[in-house]
This record gives sequence, structure tokens and C-alpha cells, in this order.
Amino acid sequence: MKRSLRLDYTLPKGRLAPHFDALAEGRALAWRCVCGHVAFPPGLTCVACGARDGQWIELGGTALVEHRTDTPEAAWALARFDGADTAVMVRIKTPELTTSRGHLVPPEEDAGLWLALEETEDENRSVRRLE
Amino acid sequence: MKDLRIAGGAMTPFNRRKDGSSWRDWCLVAFDEALRDAALEVADVDALVVASESDFFSLQLNPAAMIADALGLHGIRVQRVEGGGATGHLAVQAGAALVAAGLARRVAVLGFEASASHLDGASVGALYSLSYDAWSEGESGIGSAAIYALSARAWMAETGATEADFARVAARNRQNARHNRFAHLPLDVTEADVRASAAVATPYRRLDCSPLSDGAACVILAAPGDLPAGAGRARLAGMGVANDRVRLGDRAAPGRFFAKRVALRAALGQAGCALSDVGLAEVYDSFSGAQLQALDALGLTDDVLAAERAGHFTAEGALPVNLSGGLLGQGAPVGATGVAQVLAAAQQLEGRYHGLRPAVPPRFALVDTHGGIATLCAVSILEAPR
Repeated sequence: MKRSLRLDYTLPKGRLAPHFDALAEGRALAWRCVCGHVAFPPGLTCVACGARDGQWIELGGTALVEHRTDTPEAAWALARFDGADTAVMVRIKTPELTTSRGHLVPPEEDAGLWLALEETEDENRSVRRLE
Repeated sequence: MKDLRIAGGAMTPFNRRKDGSSWRDWCLVAFDEALRDAALEVADVDALVVASESDFFSLQLNPAAMIADALGLHGIRVQRVEGGGATGHLAVQAGAALVAAGLARRVAVLGFEASASHLDGASVGALYSLSYDAWSEGESGIGSAAIYALSARAWMAETGATEADFARVAARNRQNARHNRFAHLPLDVTEADVRASAAVATPYRRLDCSPLSDGAACVILAAPGDLPAGAGRARLAGMGVANDRVRLGDRAAPGRFFAKRVALRAALGQAGCALSDVGLAEVYDSFSGAQLQALDALGLTDDVLAAERAGHFTAEGALPVNLSGGLLGQGAPVGATGVAQVLAAAQQLEGRYHGLRPAVPPRFALVDTHGGIATLCAVSILEAPR
């Protein structure tokens, strides 16, 4: 038997809509909880204290790569954005570069978080070496 | 905890089906063989718990009702359990809970998945990428291998583990699987072969990754008084489940599988035994490094890397791990995976496992399974019949 499905979903972004709208523009909108914890990407509940109250804050959009993996087609990293208390998985827009700092850019093919790496390492800003 | 026995069980081969058989056939075979192993009849079963991860693979919503009907089970309690990679193991624990609560006397737990032959690999990969936070990780196109690779990188940075350590695990599990007639990848491969295989997501190579498999597995759970064999089968002595943050970046240590330890404590407490009593383990090795990360999180030795390098986890070692071949060797039809892990551990304790066995069956065995990336963790402790 042969079966084929084509499914076109419409996914409302709900309370996190400001974050996703900002991502599409290449801006890093984080959630600062009333306890001071800054989550990027944000969640519905603070990972530090469990509170749900807080406010949106805009980060500078620069990040430090903590861990990286390369596939034959692309590269991803676990990166921490400056000003955030959480790390996040990002797709590296410039996989040919192996520097450890970059900045958020608008997504291209897929949605999600994309990081463009800096062409040269700034030793003064890179506080953690990429393995 | 109530005295619960794994009264019997069976599994189909785990592989990529090319014989024209369907997942309904696999379920029928596993169920019938499990009943035969338990010396029970279809009419003796008063509850069915079906483990299936995704309807996208089977293209059958509400599969539990469909399977019950196909097996000739009617007018009984039927439910479906899902929890990512832990689906099968969670179903076993759900079935046990039914018996413990007095809601059923003899429960069939039947896991299946058609994750190899129904869809092309790229489609399966795209579906599995939704196993994490589909709104963040999933959106960027990242797959399971890359997510596990990032966690492995974090663990390597903390512990000093190397790609050679991962390759040793990958080769050993494939060698273990050569004794398992149901295994998907019973390969005669070496560490060098693993390290020479194609890169998938650094540090992982193709042979560091478990396969997509088709297959089914079934166990029957009941109290000894409701079984022909009485207390002659392994006891499900303790069960634990715990979850962790879904996103790796939200975790304090993205290389550590902390929820496993929480689940383990609960299981040990119910079983009334100490970790040092555990003499065999079936551990969730979706990737080679994940086996070491799991053993580390479970605390089965003080220094997992030193133990691994000293042969502690081999068939001849102090704590044999994944003698079935694990997911790397036996295969991974997701809904069936945890059921098959429990079945292998039970049969090891009973001294009747068909594959590689330790010289002396231990008294206690541990089964560890997880969904996501150790996001939803299930641990069970089994005890040998006495």
C-alpha cells in the first residue's frame, strides 16, 4: 500500500510570540523573571524559581559558543547569549569558521536561532575555549 | 511494592523489514509468543497496554484499540502509553501499576514501532527532531545525532572521555549483539572500524549511532497467584521515573543525565536493594557516548571512564552492560525498545536468556531507558526468582 500525507500546520505562538517575532528580525528578546533570572530562549515558567511573572528584555544578540558539532551538511552549537542565564542550541550560519563568538542573525532556510560567527577570535571577549 | 512478576515475554527480530509483513503481524507474533511463554491463553489477559511512539510511523491513530481488536482482545481495559524513547519502558511500568492498583490481574504490555521501513530516513529524522523542543531546536533543522553530540561534547569536556571510549562501547555492543538472534546489527566490528566510519555529527560517526528498526516486543505482568508458573519468573521489584529540562541549554550541566539518578533512587527504594547489589544492566545507548553518560548518571561505579577502560562493563566484567547488544546492536523500534530491555533483563535473571550471558546470573538487574535526551527517564530494578 502507498499513502502520502501533506500536512500544513498553523501553530499559534501564544505567550512566546514576542520572542519568535523578534527572532524573525534577528533580535534576541529574552524573558527576565521577577527573580532576576534571564532566559533566552524564554519559557512559560522560570527555570530558577518557578515564577511566571517578569518582563521582556532585549539582549545585544552576541553569544559565546560553548560546545559545537559539525555534520556533513551544517554545524550547530550550544551557545550562551551575553546577558542570558541559560544556553541555547543555535545553527551556525558560517560553519567554515571555528571561532567561538558570534551574533544572532535572522533565520534563512529554516526558522530557529542562527548564529553568524566572527571571523577572528577576540581573546579579550572569549572567556571560554571551544573544545 | 506488590509482588509483580514478568510472567513471560517475546520479541520479533528487530531489523528493517523487507518481507512484506506489517506492524500488526509483528504485534501478533510477539503477543502470541509471550502468552505461550507465560503458559496463558488470550482469555486470561484482562488489560492491554500498547507502547507506540508515533502515529506518523504506523499511520494508525488510536493504535491500542486497533491492536486489541487484531489480537482478539475485547471487553477489557486497553490503553496506549507514549514517552519518546522511553515509551516501551513507561508502558511496562504503567502495566505494573494496573496490577498493583488491582485494576487488572494479567496485563499484556505490547510495544511496537515501524520506524525503519515505512518512511524514508530523512522523513524519520525530521519527525525525531520534534522529540526535543520543536519550537526552538526543532525549528533550526537539528537532528537527534547533533543534539546528542552536543551533550556528549559537554560530557567529554567535563570528564576527559574520548572518541576512543565511545568507539569501544559501539564495537562491544555490536559484538554482544552477534549472540542475539533478534538483533538488527550483529556486526563483527572493531573500535577502528567505528572510528573509520562516516562522520555524522562530531564526535559521532555512523557506527556510534543506533539504527532505526522495525519490530515488536511483549511481556505479561501479573502477581504470582495469578500465574501458572507462580513465583518462578523474575520480579519487577522497583520502578522509577523522573524528568529533566527539555532544552539542553536550560540544564546546569548539559552533559549529565541527572533525571536518571532521581528515577534510580525511587526504583532502588521500592526494590529494597542497594546499587551495589545490581549485577547486570540494560542501558539506553541510542548513541555510544550516551551509554557512558547513562552509567555515569546512574552512579553504577565511582569512575565510569576508568571502569569502562578496565573492562568492568563487558560480559566477563563486574557489571555486564547491554549483553543484548543494546540499541546499538539489538536495534531500536522505539515502542518495543524498553519492553525488550525489560524482557532481556528478566530472562538473564532467570538464566534462560538466549544470547550472551554472564557466568552466574545476578540477583538484581537494572533497566534504564529515556526519551528525548534523558529528558524523560525510566529505571526499573528486577530481581531473580528464588
